[in-house]
Amino acid sequence: MTVTLTINGSACRFTGDPMTPLVDVLRRERFLTGTKAVCREGFCGACTVEVDGMAVMSCLRPIGLLQGAAVTSIEAMSTGDGPLHPLAAALEAADVVQCGMCFPGMVMSLSSFLRDSPAPTRTDVKAAMAGNICRCTGYERIVDAVMEFVGHRQGVRS
Amino acid sequence: MTVDLEERSLMLPETVEGALAARLDGATILAGGTWLMRAPLRRESITRALVSLQAIPGLGDIAIGTDRVRIGASVTHEALARSLAGIAGLEAVATAASGAANPAIRRVATVGGNLCTRDFAAADLLPAFLATEAIVELRTRAGAEQLPIAVFLDDRARYLTDTLLVSVILPRNLVASTHMRLPLRKAGDYPVAILSVARDRDRRLRFAVGSVEPVARRWHALEEALAPDRGDMPLDPERTAALAASCNDFKGRDGPEADGWYRRQVLPALARRAAVALARQEGIR
Repeated sequence: MTVTLTINGSACRFTGDPMTPLVDVLRRERFLTGTKAVCREGFCGACTVEVDGMAVMSCLRPIGLLQGAAVTSIEAMSTGDGPLHPLAAALEAADVVQCGMCFPGMVMSLSSFLRDSPAPTRTDVKAAMAGNICRCTGYERIVDAVMEFVGHRQGVRS
Repeated sequence: MTVDLEERSLMLPETVEGALAARLDGATILAGGTWLMRAPLRRESITRALVSLQAIPGLGDIAIGTDRVRIGASVTHEALARSLAGIAGLEAVATAASGAANPAIRRVATVGGNLCTRDFAAADLLPAFLATEAIVELRTRAGAEQLPIAVFLDDRARYLTDTLLVSVILPRNLVASTHMRLPLRKAGDYPVAILSVARDRDRRLRFAVGSVEPVARRWHALEEALAPDRGDMPLDPERTAALAASCNDFKGRDGPEADGWYRRQVLPALARRAAVALARQEGIR
């Protein structure tokens, strides 16, 4: 099956098994290894990317259902040699990144969530992170950093 | 559109008739993919022919009327939760849709997939639909057919061989409902026991249990035990829990995330919580 889609703004064509998980297309075909394949069953969130503006687990998205879709992975969140995405920078500044395996997924889930919910409560942030597991750091520190980022962003806007 | 591949094909028909024809030819229905994509982890193979309902117009729609709500098979959990939020009587379905799995799964997992995945015992929507006395709408070679969800679940394997589930209809005859789920850390995102409770306009109570047995079902023994109390509003939590313990006729299924006895054992506690939550719902009215 041949599928055409855009990945990080570039047109891409995939030919192969329609049940190939998107994460494998990103990592093996496009060498976008920021997206991590960890549990492969939708529990850990390390493979989270945006598809048509929605944060989804790329391990569970068959490429055959993505004809015409727009995929954004962690690599598109900054230019590489430029500054990090503000949320990624805030998490790094708060020193909540440990091994880094979960963080691309965390950033993809939370950036999408904060775009749609600009003034969340702490409970809202925890609910949004429910599908992103981190085995290194305390979740509370991650939530602290997100709330600080939200507070700073609101302060800048007002 | 049909695209052939040497090893596997995925059809994306634009009509229900096209999808049904593919199904009758042996294709497996691919809904949101959250179950089928994990087949390799379960050491199961994925069939060579698949058919998706994604391109069929209307199956992703929710129509909210004064007497019923019609939900297309391709509606995602997230869309369902958003659409039903705040609708009196349908709290159980809204809660089931908003609490299942995790946010990213809810954005792609569909109502049809949840209802038609026979091996998934922990589906949140099933007990909620059972308590709501939902109707499933099937498309067969002969035309459309509507069935109570309990009838569909009783013989799901047979229905799914030659029919396509196209929508679910929720009658709007409930005054309040609630949905309780018990997650465990080692069970990940799956609840080890689920209890949905609804009260209709005649004050009749309906209880449905999921994840305890292989297929969700109504808890008729508890409904009958509570029948003399139907005029009592709110439901007494302690009495409900006591009756739930004495009417516990479930045979818990053993699984890697919980033993069968445990799933069965927690039901009275869930019944108590559900009675409290239902009373809260009724107090708001």
